[in-house]
Amino acid sequence: MKTERPIRQVPRPVLSLLVLALSLQVTWQALQAPPVARADALSAPPAPATLRAVALGEPIALAQLMTLYLQAFDNQPGISIPFLQLDYGRVTQWLAAILELDPVGQYPLLMASQLYGQVPDEAKQRQMCDFVYRQFERDPERRWRWLAHCAIIVKHRLKDPRLALVYAEAITRQARRASNWARQMRIFILEDLGEREAATVLLGGLLASGEVTEPREAHFLMERLKTLQSGDGNSTPATKN
Amino acid sequence: MKSRAATIARYTLLEALRTRLPLISLAVLAALVAAGFFVEQVAVTEGVRFRAGFYAATARWAAVFILALHVLAAVAREFDDKALDVLLALDLPRSHYVLGRLAGFVAVAALIAAAACVPLAWSVPPAALAQWGLSLAFELAIVAALALFCAITFNQIVPAAGFVAAFYVLARALTAMRLIGANPIAEADVFTHRAISFVVEGLALVIPALEGWTRTEWLLDQPAPWSTLSVIAGQSVLYVVLLAAAAMFDLHRKNF
Repeated sequence: MKTERPIRQVPRPVLSLLVLALSLQVTWQALQAPPVARADALSAPPAPATLRAVALGEPIALAQLMTLYLQAFDNQPGISIPFLQLDYGRVTQWLAAILELDPVGQYPLLMASQLYGQVPDEAKQRQMCDFVYRQFERDPERRWRWLAHCAIIVKHRLKDPRLALVYAEAITRQARRASNWARQMRIFILEDLGEREAATVLLGGLLASGEVTEPREAHFLMERLKTLQSGDGNSTPATKN
Repeated sequence: MKSRAATIARYTLLEALRTRLPLISLAVLAALVAAGFFVEQVAVTEGVRFRAGFYAATARWAAVFILALHVLAAVAREFDDKALDVLLALDLPRSHYVLGRLAGFVAVAALIAAAACVPLAWSVPPAALAQWGLSLAFELAIVAALALFCAITFNQIVPAAGFVAAFYVLARALTAMRLIGANPIAEADVFTHRAISFVVEGLALVIPALEGWTRTEWLLDQPAPWSTLSVIAGQSVLYVVLLAAAAMFDLHRKNF
């Protein structure tokens, strides 16, 4: 036996009702105004305790989800918001919340220094660098490279070598396992600031400490020390980055 | 004959009341209320807002899930027990069976929507709650009609439940998909993008944009204009009629 009967078995009123209802539905929807894209403001993230509860024992997974949400926030359905228009106070709250959930993760600091810190707005660049600096102080050994990047931003883009020196000194002082180039950054910033004496002392101390074990690097720094001691003011290529 | 449809509707309602549906619905709503209080406790500020928002959003999903499964299971059980065969052997038009069943399930939907409103009664303004509850009842009526149509068409619970779930999720995401399709960030002229956009616009003609129904922001921020509710009511009635007609069409074509 066939499982379906022919369409002519369907009563005419039922067929008419189906056609009429379908036509009305299509007409109704066709007459509706098309949806309009509307940019939503970034809301504040939930409190850390709430996030811990919502994570259900998977804080890293929740941190990753929040990171992707924040990263994609500028692309809302049908609209693209420039980073410049985002509320950076809220953005830093989100980044801090993500780092609370996953302190080992580097992604939020990358976003702060390389993504949100690149907008053509000095105040917002400084806000992001300040955020990175505060987060660096909580875990210098893991987070020094993002502060080093910020040091370069404030020195060359914001033309604020004093602030760059603060960051560079923080790396030297707190991040013992940071790469040598980052730990030596303060010497070159001091040199650029015209504080040759301090730079000479620091560079001499660094060479004497035996921390620099790479022969070529030691040779380069030695040449640099001689230049400083001789009073020749040319900066190294490294400082021109 | 109308009294027979009314009888089926009454027995549909009785079936819902005498199974574990009321108990399950109340238990789930109670669990969501408890979870809402937990959320309120961990929130540093706006605790009531957090609780109401959490409860409203989750209760909406839970109500849809419970009602859809109830409708699917009830109709599938009737098919499996051959109760429908016996019914249709009587002097009962198939369309009246659909109408009776649908009326009963819509009544169940209204009861679930009313029950879902009760925990919010002390937290949100009455007008906003009335709007939210009415909208939830309309949304559940659509879900009930959809589940009835799927149960009759697919005959089996798993494909029918899968279709209902996919339809509901699609209906909730449709407006966002249309916006993304209408305002592409890159490569708007690619054939695949145009094809997908065409399909999405086509779907928007036959699927209601359910994300505009039962919005939590009505409870927490600002009640909706009543004109919005009237549009929702009109659209819901039309869509329930369409689904009922489709269910009647499929039932009339079935051989037993």
